[in-house]
Amino acid sequence: MIHDFTYLQPGSVKEALAMLAEHKDECKIICGGQSLLIVMRQGLVQTDYLMDIKRLNELNYIKYEKKDGLKIGATTTHRAIEKSDVVAKNYPILVDMEHKLASIQVRNWGTIGGNLAHADAAGDPAPVLIALDASVKVGSAKGERTLPLEEFYTDLFETAMEPGEMILEVQVPTPAPKTATMYQKFNLLESDQGIVAVAVTITMEGDACKAARIILGNAGSTPVRAKKAEAVLVGKKPTDALFEKAGEAAAEECEPVGDIHASEEYRRHLIKVLTRRMAKAAFEQAKG
Amino acid sequence: MEKKLLRFSVNEVPYEIYINPKTLLVEAIRDHVGLTGTKRGCETVSCGVCTVMVNGMAVKGCSILAMQVDGMNVTTVEGLEKNGKLDPIQTAFLDEGAFQCGFCTSGMLMMAKAFLNETPKPKDEMEIRRGMEGNLCRCTGYNSIIRSIAAVASGKYREDK
Amino acid sequence: MSENKYAVLNTRVHNVDGYAKVTGRSTYTFDVKLPNMLYGKILRSPHPHAKILKIDYSEALKLPGVLTVATGKEDTLGVRQGIWRRYKDLCDEAILTVDKVRYIGEPVAAVAAVSEEIAEKALDLINVDYEVLPFVDDPMEAIKKEAPVIHEGFERNVNVTRQIAWGDVEDEMETADYIREDWFKLGGQHHMCMETRAAVASYTPDGKLTVWTSTQSAYYHQALLAGVLGLREGNIRVIAPYVGGGFGGKLELDGAQFCASILSMKCCKPVKVVFTREEDFIASKRRTPMYYYVRTGVKKDGTFCAREAKVFTNGGAYTGMGATALYLTGFFHSFPYRWKAYRYDGYRVYTNSLPSTSMRGFGAPQAMFCSEQQIDWIASDLGLDPIEMRRKNGHYEGYEVPGQATIASCGLDQCLTKIQEWVKSKGKLPKNRSIGISAAGFMSGGIFNWFDSPYSFSSAVVTINYDGTVELHVGAQEIGQGSSTTLALICAEALGVKLEDIKVHMGDTDHSPADLGAWGSRQTLMAGNATKMAAEDAKRQLLEFANAKLGFNIIYDLDIRQGWVYNVARPERGMSYYDLCKEALRGKEGQRIIGRGFYTPRRKGMISPAYSYMVQGLDVEIDPETGHIKIHESVTAHDCGQPINTLGLIGQLEGAASMAIGFGYYEYLPVEDGKVMNPNLVDYKLIRAPEMPDCHVIEIDTYEPEGPYGAKEAGEGLTNPHAAALGNAIFHGTGLQMKEAPIRAEAIAKAWKEKQEKGTEKKKK
Repeated sequence: MIHDFTYLQPGSVKEALAMLAEHKDECKIICGGQSLLIVMRQGLVQTDYLMDIKRLNELNYIKYEKKDGLKIGATTTHRAIEKSDVVAKNYPILVDMEHKLASIQVRNWGTIGGNLAHADAAGDPAPVLIALDASVKVGSAKGERTLPLEEFYTDLFETAMEPGEMILEVQVPTPAPKTATMYQKFNLLESDQGIVAVAVTITMEGDACKAARIILGNAGSTPVRAKKAEAVLVGKKPTDALFEKAGEAAAEECEPVGDIHASEEYRRHLIKVLTRRMAKAAFEQAKG
Repeated sequence: MEKKLLRFSVNEVPYEIYINPKTLLVEAIRDHVGLTGTKRGCETVSCGVCTVMVNGMAVKGCSILAMQVDGMNVTTVEGLEKNGKLDPIQTAFLDEGAFQCGFCTSGMLMMAKAFLNETPKPKDEMEIRRGMEGNLCRCTGYNSIIRSIAAVASGKYREDK
Repeated sequence: MSENKYAVLNTRVHNVDGYAKVTGRSTYTFDVKLPNMLYGKILRSPHPHAKILKIDYSEALKLPGVLTVATGKEDTLGVRQGIWRRYKDLCDEAILTVDKVRYIGEPVAAVAAVSEEIAEKALDLINVDYEVLPFVDDPMEAIKKEAPVIHEGFERNVNVTRQIAWGDVEDEMETADYIREDWFKLGGQHHMCMETRAAVASYTPDGKLTVWTSTQSAYYHQALLAGVLGLREGNIRVIAPYVGGGFGGKLELDGAQFCASILSMKCCKPVKVVFTREEDFIASKRRTPMYYYVRTGVKKDGTFCAREAKVFTNGGAYTGMGATALYLTGFFHSFPYRWKAYRYDGYRVYTNSLPSTSMRGFGAPQAMFCSEQQIDWIASDLGLDPIEMRRKNGHYEGYEVPGQATIASCGLDQCLTKIQEWVKSKGKLPKNRSIGISAAGFMSGGIFNWFDSPYSFSSAVVTINYDGTVELHVGAQEIGQGSSTTLALICAEALGVKLEDIKVHMGDTDHSPADLGAWGSRQTLMAGNATKMAAEDAKRQLLEFANAKLGFNIIYDLDIRQGWVYNVARPERGMSYYDLCKEALRGKEGQRIIGRGFYTPRRKGMISPAYSYMVQGLDVEIDPETGHIKIHESVTAHDCGQPINTLGLIGQLEGAASMAIGFGYYEYLPVEDGKVMNPNLVDYKLIRAPEMPDCHVIEIDTYEPEGPYGAKEAGEGLTNPHAAALGNAIFHGTGLQMKEAPIRAEAIAKAWKEKQEKGTEKKKK
């Protein structure tokens, strides 16, 4: 049962930030509400004030420029990202990821900002965006700051945002040449959240791997950057044996939690297999 | 708790209702406007029986605050027929037997309609299946529903339009 | 494929409820709203096993908007009821419990308030003092001497035992060239009806109770409520509005009807109780989990000699319909083969967990998972063709299952041939793809009357109006399976009218004849027979007038088809049925023509008057490294005698497939320490449209003499084979033998890894 709240509807970002400054911890933000309403109904979240930013069209945009990369406003829906020509052309992996995120109904109303702020370790967008080296711009009544998405998550359902801050924009840089990002989540039903998920970005130089980003989803309380796995690949000529080794490393450097869906051992096994497969797939696509 | 005024249309009919702001869209439709064709089947935005259209977009009525559709038009299953003339998707469901107990049917019809509005020529059956991913059915095994949508997409009911 | 000799049977028609269902006009119990109606909520036990010492709800009563609170001790007769009414010791569930709770979620108190929200808040204000007792939630633990006693008088917590046996198993095992034994573990499954359990009860000052409820049998609920409330059956009216699914879970009395009734009787206002999805998961009943031991002896040419099975089922806290599941699993475990000797010993064990009951398949999916996989493994061990081995031992028309059943129609052999052809047509499969098959069969209604009903199992009344429209009153309950359309088709065929002339009335005990309801695949055969009888009775009466009117030579037969009354030898000579009706009613002093029909199976063996048969094939893609499964195609060769409702049959087949595949792979329902671990649709996985395979049916033509027009069941039997077929596909693709259902991806990945490691070790050696 949802507890009563006072409903706030700011007409602009400035107004929203002022409301946040005033109410601080007593105020929660709702945008699409696709995740929030569930936890409110379960009584896990109770709030005195609920600030509805769904109508803040100021934050509803997808902009792209070759040098600056992609900028997506926080209240942009998943569906808009999924259907965006400019995203499809330049970051097809984001379209792939959105395509398998929940259902069309959820994507029609839920937003990228809401999803990232919810900080679910099993969420789809974060691992992919981190693999793309994305940053997030947050704002408060005091000003704005930008931080790498990789540093945005501090714990399960917790972010590095201070009271009074909210997400304004997601920024995805233009990838270097000969770069590819692949993503796969393991689940029984293709649009479920992943029991585990792996996003891999590989940048090639010649026939060697110049850079790698391996991000593990639902393998800890926040998305995990598998640095040891990356180190296996960087500077080397990728081979099947190397992908296998990267997988093994990734499986060791995360903290998946076992539950009724999968034991910890099995999750590590899946991380190993998916890392190997995605690293190989990213390599195949990057080398062109 | 102070009630708030919500002005919206349901099936092109304007309504003004005073609601507790925590009222969900599906509750506004069922309990305040009184249209019971839209159902509820879960608490986790999983089953899709509450699917309606908001300004033509398919959404799950259980996961949206009613206040968020202020000024918008909500289409429910009752709005598919026009003065007793069935929408092609409804006729297709009848022809294919794409329902059994019928509890999920309203949501299925709304999602199917929204899907076809956006994608009148799906490239293959899997695209239709993926479009309907958000709607559970325990009775039919989905295939008759997919066939109905494919039949409409193929132009079978064009004369009715 | 023979030409359709029938006027309306086996044609594609619109479902008679179709217009209501596709326009949002079908109202369910979920939608019922009455003037002055209150909302009821149930306080549930957080403990798997505890004594109730005291319930203090004084604070709850103070909450504005709360009208009344009911407890088992204060407000019920404390009657322990059950659906197996003939066996009083199995009537063990008070629903709103009086002294003890036996599972997490069991109702302890109920509140009625002016809104759902207030009723829910009131629950938090009820204080219950429990004396927590030790609990046990696994049957193999519950059966131990030292286990806590769940129900007094049931030693070792053994609730029911069943034995089915013929021949001498040990003697026949001696003659076997090869014997194999395996242990299997079958998980539960949840009905997961789209409409949760729900009831609106309205008790009025004249001592009458009306209950709207989502049910599979209005009659069962009427009779059961009478028993627990101390009211006369005739003073209780049960109305089933449209029902949002049943699948075996809505036959018994549950907390919704019972608590709504008790609350309404306390304050004399209508009370609505609707389970949340979470409540529906934890506080209704589930498919019976089982431990299965199977020992099978065969000759080296594949002839079956003997089979022995020992089964321990997890009955949960109460009996419910679980006693029947215990019996049927043992019977269908022998299906569809001829065993020289067979012995099944079944033990249903109480545990402190979610009670187990009937669910589509009724013990047979579990039985087939074990039997059909083991048969493939035996075939493989002996180097035999699995289809030919089945054919060699299969049932045939006229076969008598010793002491149990006579098979009057059987299309098994043709089914095997069709699947064999399909397998061959598939040719060489791509990598990671394999095929698994499974045979199965099922009953068309049970011959047993453990409910102790004095009524015919099914009844029907056909009334012909002046304008030729027909009122068909049946007790058969439409729950989505299409019974109203099927019975309307049978009535239209038997009477000779058009489908649109028929109006079906059911689901209201004030107007519908008694019928045992929608379970055990009984309605097509039993209610169908009653309907046919009633329609033929009405037709006979009508034809008396036709004979008088038309004045044909007495040697000629008259019949009616598609609204035309005609001379069978000269069909062009006759008159309009509609004209005839007008004249006939005048001849009957203005009275409508009423035909009556009823059916109860007698002298039909121990299980059922008729059996359906099928062979199921699945084309499966397996990723053994991760355990991920994708089912590409489902093909079923199917013998249901005479198909009646074409679209309904396809729908039942596809729906059954989705549920059966769920049993085999997706629907994991873990219960730990008595707690359902995933009572929601995020964590309990139901197959969705992208994962559902294409399904193809091949209908095999047979004729069942006991069924209306030769028809037998279709829809429940089809839930039986898929889990086994999936297991067999995995076996043929990977060599892995999966002995637990649902087959979990993790289990496949683990078994595959172990197999690879063993192989590597072997290579090293």
